[in-house]
Amino acid sequence: MRRLVAILAALLGMAGLLAGCGGSSSGSNTASKTKVIHITFSGSSVTPNGARVDVKVGQKVEFVVKADTAGQIHVHSSPEKQLDYNAGTTEIQVGSFAQPGLIEVESHALDKTIVQLQVQ
Amino acid sequence: MGGDYSPLAHGIGGRQDLPVPLETAIVAAVAALIVSFVVLAWTVRRHDASDEPMPVSPVRERPVPRVERLVDSTAWRVGLRTVGMLLFAYTVMVGVFGQDLEINPIFGIFYVWWWVGLVPFSLVFGPAWKAISPVRTINAGINVLRGDDRGLYEYDEKRFGYWPAAFGLLAFAWMELVYPHNSYLGPVRLWCAIYVAAMLIGGQLWGTRFYANADPFEVYSSLVARLSVWGRNAAGRLVVRSPLTNLDTTLRPHTGLVAVVSVLFGTIVFDSFRDSIPWLKFTQNNGFITSHSWAPYTVNNLALFVFPLAVAGFFCAGTMLTGVGDDLDRRRLPVLLAPAVVPIVAGYVVAHYMSYWWEGGQATLQQVSDPFSNGGNWFGTANLKINYFFAYHPTLLADLKVLSVVIGHVLGVISSHKRAIAVLPRKHMITGQIPLLVTMVGFTVGGLYLLFAA
Repeated sequence: MRRLVAILAALLGMAGLLAGCGGSSSGSNTASKTKVIHITFSGSSVTPNGARVDVKVGQKVEFVVKADTAGQIHVHSSPEKQLDYNAGTTEIQVGSFAQPGLIEVESHALDKTIVQLQVQ
Repeated sequence: MGGDYSPLAHGIGGRQDLPVPLETAIVAAVAALIVSFVVLAWTVRRHDASDEPMPVSPVRERPVPRVERLVDSTAWRVGLRTVGMLLFAYTVMVGVFGQDLEINPIFGIFYVWWWVGLVPFSLVFGPAWKAISPVRTINAGINVLRGDDRGLYEYDEKRFGYWPAAFGLLAFAWMELVYPHNSYLGPVRLWCAIYVAAMLIGGQLWGTRFYANADPFEVYSSLVARLSVWGRNAAGRLVVRSPLTNLDTTLRPHTGLVAVVSVLFGTIVFDSFRDSIPWLKFTQNNGFITSHSWAPYTVNNLALFVFPLAVAGFFCAGTMLTGVGDDLDRRRLPVLLAPAVVPIVAGYVVAHYMSYWWEGGQATLQQVSDPFSNGGNWFGTANLKINYFFAYHPTLLADLKVLSVVIGHVLGVISSHKRAIAVLPRKHMITGQIPLLVTMVGFTVGGLYLLFAA
């Protein structure tokens, strides 16, 4: 029993170390460049379609939306954001995210997840 | 996806946890594997030592007479029942007179405090829902008026067991994960009304034993409570034991236990899986699903049933492949060994809901202060600032999640080892445990994969 606990403790210590290393090396590059995500709506389809995009904490995000009809994009951050776009090309400044997490960007009209922003 | 209309289904505003880093998930999976084989090797050594029957270690427990006097006192019991009834009355009030807005506290009470909160409270305090259950209290009240506290019929525990609760849990999971309008007041109110009606009618027909078997929340809470330190010994005295001893001494094989465990694990796995990229890509790009308007909802409904069935299938196959003697029916094995899966499920539940409980629980505390969504501040918590501790410490959160899954796995493996010793004939003691061990490692690694991928 005691041996089990020791093995576990050692392994989890390793897990912590590994995860810790991963975290510190990526934090040095500051998030200055705006992340531009191109979104295309046509009929009942949208691209990207369920992709995951890495975003840094504090990095600005911009959507460039090409669409055949006007509509709305929901960003499930806290608080939630509802962004309108027109037919043709619309550039939307989404802003930046202060909290790390996974944020879904959806079209509720199509009932589809466009991208998941992985904020780290 | 269907469930994403809900502002609460994924935590506040929909921001979800970052995936667990790959390294952490791999280290945890390796840890789970090593522990499993250490436990198996332990059996081998003890098995080789002698031909005598395995000694049953005495139950180590400590009576706590002072706490027992407190919790068995009428004042304490009435106090807890009053708390339950006040929460019930408040929920009815916001359900009937509240506005159909996202900030109506009923959603947080229903999805966060009740469903998610059940687990931490039961882990820490024991069978919490049984103690405050308003349906038990109302049933007791009706019985006083009737002058008879028995049901009309005997509840046939051997035949029905936990099956009604398994369906109740599935009904809750359907509401939380599949039903598209789950964040509107009407459906939540209707779900609660059906629950209360079913519980009151059942209580009158089959007596209080009905609640221990058919109330999904009580069954869930009391199951998790076996992993708390609180138990009762044979004489009914309150004792403190290790969670593992508590699980092994109190959880007897019970009809429908496999179903309850499979529904709990299967639906929570589905909750993780439906946000993963492979599932999104499949449901959003599949030609058939996208060209039929009814298809996405149907696929979600099917998945909600398929996941628990798959869990049950793996578990039954894993246990029934075990070698048995002539005196034991192979088909009895899943039920006999099912208690060992409870810690694995509990570990995954804790990992899955940890940050949601923290943030959603606080958001609900904020919302209950304004029951009618008119700017009220009844309890002074309306302006509470939500503490996003876990959001800012994703590494710590990932480590805690993985730790919880691995602890659940270790408890499960040790528990299944003890049960195997009791159930399996000696010649199959070691080989007999391998299929079960493989199943349990499969559940744990699957859970870790989902924490990593979704």
